[in-house]
Amino acid sequence: MAIVAAGALVLSACTSGTSDDDPTTGDSAATEDDSEDADDTAAPDDSDATSDAGEDEGDGEEAGGTTGKPDLGITETKQDNISYSVGADEWAGLNANTSVTNSVYNAVISSRLSSGFQYFGTDGTIYPDTDFGTYEVTSEDPLTVEYTISDDAVWEDGTPITYNDYLFDWVSNNPPSVFGEPPADDEDFVPAFDNVATDWGLYVPDGPQGELNGKTFTIEYSDPYPDYELLVGASFPAHVAAEQSGMTPEELVTAIQEKDVDAIAPAAEFWNTGWLSPEKTLPDPAIAQSSGPYSVDPAGGAEWSVGEYVTLGPNASYWGPPPATSNLTFRFASPETHVQALSNGDINVVEPQATVDTVQQIQALGDAFVLDVGETMTFEHVDYNFAEGSPWADNLAAREAFAFCLPRQQIVDNLVKPIDENAVVMNSREVFPFQENYEDHVAKIYDGRYDEVDLEQAKAKFEESGLEEGTQVRIGYGEGNQRRVNEVALIKASCDQVGFEIVDASAPGLGDVLASGDWEIALFAWAGSGTVTGSAFWYEIDGPGNFGGWVNQAADDAWGVISTTLDEEVQAEQLAIVETEAWNDLHSIPIFSHPGVVGYDATIDNIIKNATQTQAVWNAEQWVRQD
Amino acid sequence: MLRFILRRLGVSALILFLGSVFLFFITVLSGDPLEDLRESRERTAPQQMEARIRNMNLNEPWYVRYWIWLTGVARCVTLNCDLGTDSRGADIGTALVNAAGSTLRLVTLATILAIIIGVTLGILAAIRQYSGFDYAVTFAAFLFFSLPVFWVAVLLKEYGAIRFNNWIADPAISLTATIVIALLVAFTLASLLGGDMRRRLVTGGVSAVVAFAAITYFDSVGWWRQPALGLPLIILVAAAAGILLTYVAVGRSNRKIFYAALTTVAAGAVGWFVFNGWIVTPTYPLLLLMFGISIVAAIVIGWFWGGWDRNIAIWVSIGTATAFAFATALDQLLRNWGPFLERKPRPISTIGSGSPNFSGPFWTGVWDWGVQLILPTIVLTVISLAGYSRYTRASMLETIRQDYVRTARSKGLSERVVISKHALRNALIPITTIVAFDFAGLIGGAVVTETVFGWKGMGAMFQEGLQRVDPGPVMAFYLVTGTAAVFMNMMADIAYAFLDPRIRT
Repeated sequence: MAIVAAGALVLSACTSGTSDDDPTTGDSAATEDDSEDADDTAAPDDSDATSDAGEDEGDGEEAGGTTGKPDLGITETKQDNISYSVGADEWAGLNANTSVTNSVYNAVISSRLSSGFQYFGTDGTIYPDTDFGTYEVTSEDPLTVEYTISDDAVWEDGTPITYNDYLFDWVSNNPPSVFGEPPADDEDFVPAFDNVATDWGLYVPDGPQGELNGKTFTIEYSDPYPDYELLVGASFPAHVAAEQSGMTPEELVTAIQEKDVDAIAPAAEFWNTGWLSPEKTLPDPAIAQSSGPYSVDPAGGAEWSVGEYVTLGPNASYWGPPPATSNLTFRFASPETHVQALSNGDINVVEPQATVDTVQQIQALGDAFVLDVGETMTFEHVDYNFAEGSPWADNLAAREAFAFCLPRQQIVDNLVKPIDENAVVMNSREVFPFQENYEDHVAKIYDGRYDEVDLEQAKAKFEESGLEEGTQVRIGYGEGNQRRVNEVALIKASCDQVGFEIVDASAPGLGDVLASGDWEIALFAWAGSGTVTGSAFWYEIDGPGNFGGWVNQAADDAWGVISTTLDEEVQAEQLAIVETEAWNDLHSIPIFSHPGVVGYDATIDNIIKNATQTQAVWNAEQWVRQD
Repeated sequence: MLRFILRRLGVSALILFLGSVFLFFITVLSGDPLEDLRESRERTAPQQMEARIRNMNLNEPWYVRYWIWLTGVARCVTLNCDLGTDSRGADIGTALVNAAGSTLRLVTLATILAIIIGVTLGILAAIRQYSGFDYAVTFAAFLFFSLPVFWVAVLLKEYGAIRFNNWIADPAISLTATIVIALLVAFTLASLLGGDMRRRLVTGGVSAVVAFAAITYFDSVGWWRQPALGLPLIILVAAAAGILLTYVAVGRSNRKIFYAALTTVAAGAVGWFVFNGWIVTPTYPLLLLMFGISIVAAIVIGWFWGGWDRNIAIWVSIGTATAFAFATALDQLLRNWGPFLERKPRPISTIGSGSPNFSGPFWTGVWDWGVQLILPTIVLTVISLAGYSRYTRASMLETIRQDYVRTARSKGLSERVVISKHALRNALIPITTIVAFDFAGLIGGAVVTETVFGWKGMGAMFQEGLQRVDPGPVMAFYLVTGTAAVFMNMMADIAYAFLDPRIRT
């Protein structure tokens, strides 16, 4: 504890030099007593004095079993070009947070042009990016987090990255404390900032507290918030937004601090449009400034060819480890062209859709290419419909009968293993098989009773349920997915023997299918979010993702606890309660996590597949071609 | 005529309008534009859904959305089109301009090639009806016609790009391959030139030996990586073109025309020395300027030599000069193949219209985009070639059997005059309809080719729109291809009326 406290002091000592008079120093000193608890959640600092503080992460990285970025000690940039493609979608601009640009395709490029306090590891674990800065919980009640940006961190033009940028980032979340509550019944209401993120504005009404041009700031939550680690990430250059909207950076900061909506409006307008590139030409590097290892400056070789590719060059002002390869080219190539382009050297790293064909084709390319197949954080599952008149409503035996005949192992063996031979049946809805705590978690929630199809049991349960022979079970899913067609065929072959009559009820548009309620079983996938509370809406009564209308008070209560605690052990405990209920009371049944594929040229080093939506490009600054 | 055109316009507008309503309706009906967001557990999914609903006016019924689209399009009358935004908020107008530019680059060359080659093959097949050549063309036409585009394109990428690139790294042609190629050349030429058995054997034998010798020579001097034509070959090519043009235009009788062509070649050779600096490191304006100079020179030469046949002399000279210019450009391109290979060791990419961040001298730059046109152009050409050759052959055969052709023959006109003046011109009239219609079709029909070769053209726009259940891009595609189809059809009708005096009203 003394070490942590010392660390906090060192930290405030380091940072106070850059700001004239730092009121946050007092804050961190006052909350020293609490920092002991914060030990396991706080970020490790980059200063030597605190090297012991972040034990968990620090040791893991050295052990090599880490899911974070490896420490490669890259010191120089090789003049070379590596090209990558995830799909045909064109880049829309630097700002990937607007409602129109928020997509995986956009993020793969925009994320190379920014850095922030944390990143996702290969299994969805959150890692702090200590090159950028550090953060630390200084109080748990109220939850207070202190952020310190590295003294070296600058925008491309040399302007330091400071509190100003994060204050602007906060206001771009449309905080109701500034703009007022959005009118509930006005469908045409357009918020000032066209930002998909709103959490920071909702949970931190007062915004970040800090000094103009300061390197530290503190945020205080009105309620405990378990996903606080994800709230503050990268930011945009506020000084550019200020200048482009006719203000000085100081005026912008003052306007936000004084909640002057009219004064903020031009900056909001710039935020909405100024960092987008609708004309599909390379943005002005003085405006689209990078805080990451790469840049859009043509001087470094950046280039944009409409409809074909964007090339990034190195960011000369980046203070962290230099990118291993000077230029990255992102090609907008549709997935069906990936394999041939890979084999011809047109694209060096591809992430096409994981199909049996793609996998076989990449394998057939031989030793000069590497195929990396693995699970992703998206999983397939079936949901029960509890609506009135459904055979499942108030009939646990019926649900159990279906669970016993659901051929999960067969689905995985026939449909997933040809792609990923290590694929397994997934037994949790919240933890993925590739995550460290999967075994422990599953042991707590599920006894393996539905591992194998047991037709005898299923028939017995069917009998017990009192359902009529030939009860129709419509399986609803979005049309046009061959794998799901095959899944339904396998389910029908198995469950029809029990007494159900499985009907393939696919229709155009998953949303319409789910909303119509014309299904007894819904078959679809959830894409994971890496958050603690992100999936509560699937279980909770009236949750917008609870399409089947499951009602379970115990699970709801557990979610209530999870969303208000920071204690990871309590979170895990409560999550186990939710899932135990979901198994015993049969809310849904998970089947498998979707496979993902990365294919790359074997001469390129340091390519690491990432299960999250950041894709394999997450550590692109470390990619390098062997000499 | 005016009434006819106006009536055609009216009917076309009505068809376009009804088609747009129908297409809009079925696009909207084809799925759920929010599907990807519904499966997302991301924290921001609800906000994204709201924004997309706003962008696409999803809260309105389809006919209101259609009306919004239609009023935007109606502003085109004042040259102020508003095609709306797609589901991601991008302006469709900008995207349409980019996509149309890309598609036009792709299909223009293919269309021209298909017309020239297809019509030529059709004429030759008709003249040599029931010969081996005719059967070969017929067989190939039906084969190409029924090939799945997707499959051909993927195969071409495998052999034309990947394997070719492997081969060019260390090029060598085996003895077996050389013999097979020589035999193929011999067979093609022999059946094409026709004649009795003895003549065919001689043609075949000679061409086989020449092909074999050429390939062996190329192989031994490393021509595949260091090719060139050189001035003598350029002169030879231009002279051959001049002689051929003279023969087709006036036969061997008019010496003046022949001399005009030869003078043009000589002038070209002089120009080659004078402008050599520009030829080696040109720019596009310089190239145009030089081409202009050679055309002017050709006109002057034709005018002086022509005498009473001045017009024909001028055209033959222009043709010869053009051949000289193209041969010179080809020579420069070939000379720069080596430098291009140094910059891009695997010259042909499977996707895209050029290589990222390419920089090099002018002619290597031409290689960079030119080489990317080869494979898609082959696919598009081969597919529309089939139709042209069949139609031309049928039309030509029909014309040859007409009474006026028999009359021309009985008057004692030479076969050359009968074919080129009497038969061919009349046979080409029905072809105009097909050419016009095909061009409109190619713009839309390149969907698959574009996708496979990674070109972001109209096809990609259409396909993406459909996948996202986003009517905006789909309707923009329809607007261009539909209008093109209707317009080109009308042009064909009008051209028909001008070409064929009998139906002029």
